[in-house]
Order: sequence, then structure tokens, then C-alpha cells
Amino acid sequence: MDMKKHLLGMCVLPSVLFVAGCSCCDDAVAPQAAPAPAPAPVVEAPVAAAQIADVFYAFDSSALDPMSEAQLKENARWMLENPDATIVIEGHCDERGTNEYNIALGERRADSASNYLVNLGVDPSRIQTVSYGEERPFDPGQDEEAWAKNRRAHFVLQ
Amino acid sequence: MSQNSDPMHALMTYTSSRAFLVWSLLIVFLFATSPSLHAVESGEYIRIAKAGERRIPLVLRGLDHKRSKDARYADGTDAIIRNGLEYTGMFAILGSPMNLFTGGTMFDPERRRVNMASLGSVGAELYAGGVLERDGGDVVLHMEVYDVLSGRRLLGKSYRGDRKKLREPAHEFCADLVELLTGKPSVFRSRIAYVGLNGGQKEIYMAAFDGFGAEQVTRTGGLAMTPSLSGDSSRLAYLAYIEGFPELHIMDMKQGDIVPVRKKGVKIDPAWRNGSSECATTFSFDGDQEIYLVRSDGSISRRLTRARGIDVSPSFSPDGRLMAFVSSRHGVPQVFIKDLLTGKERRLTFNGRYNTQPSWSPAGDKIAYTSMQKNGEINIFTINADGTGLRQLTYRARHNEAPSWSPDGSMIMFSSSREGQKKLYVMNADGRNQRSLNLPGQQMQPSWSLYK
Repeated sequence: MDMKKHLLGMCVLPSVLFVAGCSCCDDAVAPQAAPAPAPAPVVEAPVAAAQIADVFYAFDSSALDPMSEAQLKENARWMLENPDATIVIEGHCDERGTNEYNIALGERRADSASNYLVNLGVDPSRIQTVSYGEERPFDPGQDEEAWAKNRRAHFVLQ
Repeated sequence: MSQNSDPMHALMTYTSSRAFLVWSLLIVFLFATSPSLHAVESGEYIRIAKAGERRIPLVLRGLDHKRSKDARYADGTDAIIRNGLEYTGMFAILGSPMNLFTGGTMFDPERRRVNMASLGSVGAELYAGGVLERDGGDVVLHMEVYDVLSGRRLLGKSYRGDRKKLREPAHEFCADLVELLTGKPSVFRSRIAYVGLNGGQKEIYMAAFDGFGAEQVTRTGGLAMTPSLSGDSSRLAYLAYIEGFPELHIMDMKQGDIVPVRKKGVKIDPAWRNGSSECATTFSFDGDQEIYLVRSDGSISRRLTRARGIDVSPSFSPDGRLMAFVSSRHGVPQVFIKDLLTGKERRLTFNGRYNTQPSWSPAGDKIAYTSMQKNGEINIFTINADGTGLRQLTYRARHNEAPSWSPDGSMIMFSSSREGQKKLYVMNADGRNQRSLNLPGQQMQPSWSLYK
């Protein structure tokens, strides 16, 4: 599992670098800005940087809000651009509620994300889903900030 | 400790000949387990236990022993009996008065005379005591129980056991005493399965009814949960994550064999159906999460629910005909009851917006469940199977989850985070007398069952 998370990290990393690079260009000082060819990659980069990221849910809900749908469109685009990639979508819950019910809820979250990708043309054989309920929280905190992070469909590259 | 008769005589009574000892034990055994005696004697006491919004005042005298070097066995046995009887929540244990015996043979419970007036003066309704003697590697407990008001002896029986396993004879006595009073199998012949959290890993453990002698029974290396013991403890069903994906496991507790069920999707919270060798659990291989009956070989017997939304956490009535379960078919989780004979379903809970974890009582009249409340607490309630008699059992104590009834229905075990970490607790079935089992580490999801 750790290795999978690393793979995801490698996937996200380029876009983080891109964002960082972009803010650097905005900086008025920009002392060591590259010469002439610099603008070209800036234009192309957003297209190449389609990336997979997690989506989040309200309490006791597996419904997708507009922000989650926007992220899933991005995820679908990445899947279509990387046809050899397969993913596992993990459904997770916050620690409130009870463990058994949360296993069921987590599966509904993973399924809602998976169905959205499939509707956008992603081959369902490239997606596996699994629910961990509240058993694998990302943030062990016991406040809404932590809970909000834990109510997610987590995308793991195989 | 005064004595009015010849101690040698008492010694002779128990040790003169092995044949005589065997015969006397047999006679005492027959006497103590005679059905007519139980019917007559227990009838009177069942009323007391049921009226039992109060505890029965009991004088528990430490075990008498002739040889001073047996003191440690007597003390050890005393502590086990006292802790065991206190665990049931049935007794108010009183100190032993002076002048307890008025004569007879001190080290012979068959012959010593118990002073009922002295016992009555301290408010006792029951008296229990006995004599411990050692026989090689064994200890023998010669136990006596009296009803103080009538002066009648309710129990006279000897218990033999390995001196290194004092719990066994001591708990056999406790079991006989409680079963005499309630007419039901006591907790002393029961075991628990539960989830233990150690080093970030959840595995399933089994232990005696009080948490003693815990043993790890799963080794998934990560995540095992929702254990359910069959009524006779012969099988354990649970959810195990193997290489990242969930499987339903059905373990034969005698052989240790595991039947894995690897269908697509979730497998959640199995529960054994009383009077059958099948358990019910949630699968999602058909698209929606529904409850199915599964045979102990892992094959599916039949589908039980057909409603869109989450259906989880079955728990059966004692006759196996009715199933309580959780469904989100109306939006939020509520407890429903399905009649497996007619197929009819009805909603049981209407208070609160998050009711889960139903657990049907062994008597069949009540269902315990948990409700998450607006303040974020999770508390345990009981409700009659017809929807009346709602009663809250835990208050202001953070998360109280996964209620499981003792086989006699007198107690409920649950997990609570009231002191920070999640631990196993027990309480009387009416919510009184809540206390921790004080096991090391964190525990949750207890499943309580008979094992004999």
C-alpha cells in the first residue's frame, strides 16, 4: 500500500512543481527567468497536467457535489490519457457513526466515484473499488477539519 | 474460628478412603443437580432475581481450610469467587458476621451448623461458604449455600480442579449458584470474541466472559473485524482484509479451518441465525448492499433484503424467525425488523436520525441498539420488539457501541471511549453497574456466546 501511495505521489508531484513554477513567474523579481522559450511550456502544461486526486463527501452521504464532479472529470481525463493505468478507488469515512455502517457507506462513496468515471468513458475493467469504512483515517484528529478530510474516495494507482 | 467437634473426625470423613470420597461426591452431586430440587428451590429465587431491581444481599464467607499452607489456594479461590459473583451484578456482597457457626464439624460443610440468626442480623438473604482441601495436585471445594430466611440449604456440592487452574472449580460453583437463582445458563459458562487494536492492527481475540485468558484467533496482518460467534461457539464468522480486499471468513473453532468467501464487493457484519447453521451478512456483488443467508461452507442460501440503499447488521430473534437489521432505505440509518416466514418488514426505531447495531436479547423481548445523537455521542438504548418501552442505558459517555447480550440476558457488553481509549465494558441489562473489563490496549465489537 505504501508503494501505491508513492506512485500516486509521483503522479501529483509534477503538477505541484508546475504550480510552484507558475507562482515563481508571477513574482515581480523573477531574477533568473529563462530567456525566450519560457512561455511555451506554460501554455501547454495545464493540458499535460491532468491528474488524479481524491474527492470528498458530506456526512453520511455518497452524493457528489459540483467540486467532486469537477475533480472526477479531471480524473476521467487522466484515465483516458493514460490507457494502461489501472486504479483502486478506496471509500473512506470519518470516525463518527458506527464501524459496520461506515463500511457500507465507504463502498457507496467508492462506487459513486467509479460510476462517474465509467459514465465518462473509462473502461470499468481498469477500476477496482474497496471500502475501508472508518478504519484507515487520513487525519486522526477529532474535529470537523479532520473528519472532512477522512470522508473521501481515495484514488490509488496500481 | 471456633470449632466444637473433633477435627480428626472431619479429616477422616474426606480422606479415609478414596472409594468413600467418590461415593460421597457422587451423592452430593446427585443431590445438588436433582431436577426436583432445582424446580422447587429455584422457583422461589427466580422471583427474587426478576424483581431484582436490587441486588441480593449475600454473605460470602472465605473458604475455611485446615492446613495453613493451603491458605494461598483458599485466598486465590475466594478472590475468584468474589470477583465472579460481583461481575454478575446480581449480589450485594456483605462481610461475614462473627458467630457464624453454632456447632457441628468445622471442616465438614455437611455437618457444621450455620447460624441463621447471625446472618439475618447483618441483612443477608443468602449465605455461601465452604471448605477447601488439597488432594495432591488438585484442590477440592466443598461448597454450601443457604437461604437465610428459611434456613434451608440450597446447594451442597464438591468441586475438584487443578490447583494451578483455580478459576475452573471456582467458576463451576459460581455458575451453579447463579443458575440456581435465575434458572438460566450463567455467564460463567460463556466466552467472548472481540476486536483488539494493537500497533495499528485490528485482529480478533477470544477470552472468557470477563476477558481473562485472551487469545488472538486471527492473523490477517492488518484488519479483521465484526466477529460473530455461533450460538454454540463452534463457529466464528468475521470480516478480514486479505491483500487489501475484504473477505468473509467462517472459522471452525475446533479444527481451526477457515472458509473464505471472496465475492465482489463488501462483506459486512455477519450474525448467526439461531436454530440454524447459517449466518446472515451483507454482500454487494449484485450491485446494491443486501443481506443474505450464508451456509457454513460459504455458499449462499438465500437473499433476505431487497431495498435500495444500505442494509446491514442483522441480528436474529431467539427462534430465528425475525431479523432486526439496519437500513438507510428512508435516507438515514434506522432499525427494521423482517419476518423471514411472511417476508413482512416494519420499521422499529423512530427516535433519532442514526440508529444502528441492533442486538436481539436472548429472551426475545428486547432489542439493544446504538443511536448517534446531536451532541456527537453514541449511546446504547433498548426497545421492546414491538417498538414500545424505549430506554436509554448510557449517558454522557462519548461513544458507546456494539451492544452484545450475555447468554442469560442479564448483562450487556459494549465498547466505550468514555475514558479516552476504546475498552470493553459490561452493565446490567437495565443499564446499572457499568464498569470496564480493564483489559490492556483497545478493544471493540464484542460478541458474547455460550461455549458449552
